[in-house]
Amino acid sequence: MKWTCVIVEDLQVAADYLVKCCEKSALLQVKGHFTNVEQALEYLNKNSVDVLFLDVEMPGATGFDLLDQLAYYPKVILTTSKSEYAYNAFEYNVTDFLKKPFTYQRFQEALNKLTTPAGDNNISSTATDHIFIKCDGKLVRLNNDDILFIESMGDYVKFVTFDKKYITHNTIKNLEEKVNRQTFIKVHRSYIININKIDDIRENDLFIKGNEIPVSKAHKADVLKRLNII
Amino acid sequence: MSGSNFSKKFIFNEKIDSEYLYSLYEDDYQYIEEIYQTTLTHFDEDFNAIQRAYETNNISDLKKAIHKMKPTFGFVGLTLVQHICKVFEDFCQKATSSNELTSEYQQIVVTLAESKELIASEYNKLKEFNSNFL
Repeated sequence: MKWTCVIVEDLQVAADYLVKCCEKSALLQVKGHFTNVEQALEYLNKNSVDVLFLDVEMPGATGFDLLDQLAYYPKVILTTSKSEYAYNAFEYNVTDFLKKPFTYQRFQEALNKLTTPAGDNNISSTATDHIFIKCDGKLVRLNNDDILFIESMGDYVKFVTFDKKYITHNTIKNLEEKVNRQTFIKVHRSYIININKIDDIRENDLFIKGNEIPVSKAHKADVLKRLNII
Repeated sequence: MSGSNFSKKFIFNEKIDSEYLYSLYEDDYQYIEEIYQTTLTHFDEDFNAIQRAYETNNISDLKKAIHKMKPTFGFVGLTLVQHICKVFEDFCQKATSSNELTSEYQQIVVTLAESKELIASEYNKLKEFNSNFL
């Protein structure tokens, strides 16, 4: 049985391409395409779907406004051309985030996340979307998406988030094995970074929210491979 | 995307990133033609929205309009133009009035107009190419 889905997208060529991808997958049945949130809400309040392909910036309300107003929560795949929305995407616990235009292979990767059985999905997300670190005599939860990078300080490491820094007894080598490898990548013997937080890369350095982080020659190729370079 | 196999390979204009197009659509030239056609159909509407927002000094709408149009160029392989739109979008984020964007706006209007001509020309070439293989 196919998953039912709706596409909320104001760019016609992007919507057509999504329809094509859905048809090719043979896993999804497109129930409708809407170019703004109001039209989509009218449909979604009367009809339930399994999957929502959702653009963020559209005329009038945004895709996030739609999620705020939905009475139920289908699996959501955001489709946008702005990487800056990745943070909100995780806040809304969306299944995936596709940056337009995306390849069919990338679309399939998103579908793979949809087809994970619900129970497994829950286990997986709780197991991989955050970590606990020992800090100041307590265990502190850090969401992966809040962590910008991790820096070695000898026998200690510093976790740098948007607004705080946490120092804990650990090593980069040990953490490399334990952090979510989809989100984090080692770029230097002293640094693990959140791949989704890179602002720009220049020669042998990358920048995250004003922090300059060295990228060693040994890791540069791996870092570049993980970026969505178009 | 249907994986049509033509013995002859279409030669895209050098400004179009053909490898990128193939990564999206493989060698499904019929579908690439459709993509170009859809892009052309909606081009003026999106372009006019940019011009209208600029002329009425509506920076919020200008940001939205350029943001909407930006990925269009990726879909037709004009990755450089997509990047130029991104740069202009970044300028818009910082601007408080159209007057601050005069020079950047004039440049992007020329780029977009030239892009439309190129897309139209490639569309006609693709149409002819595909009709020869039907």
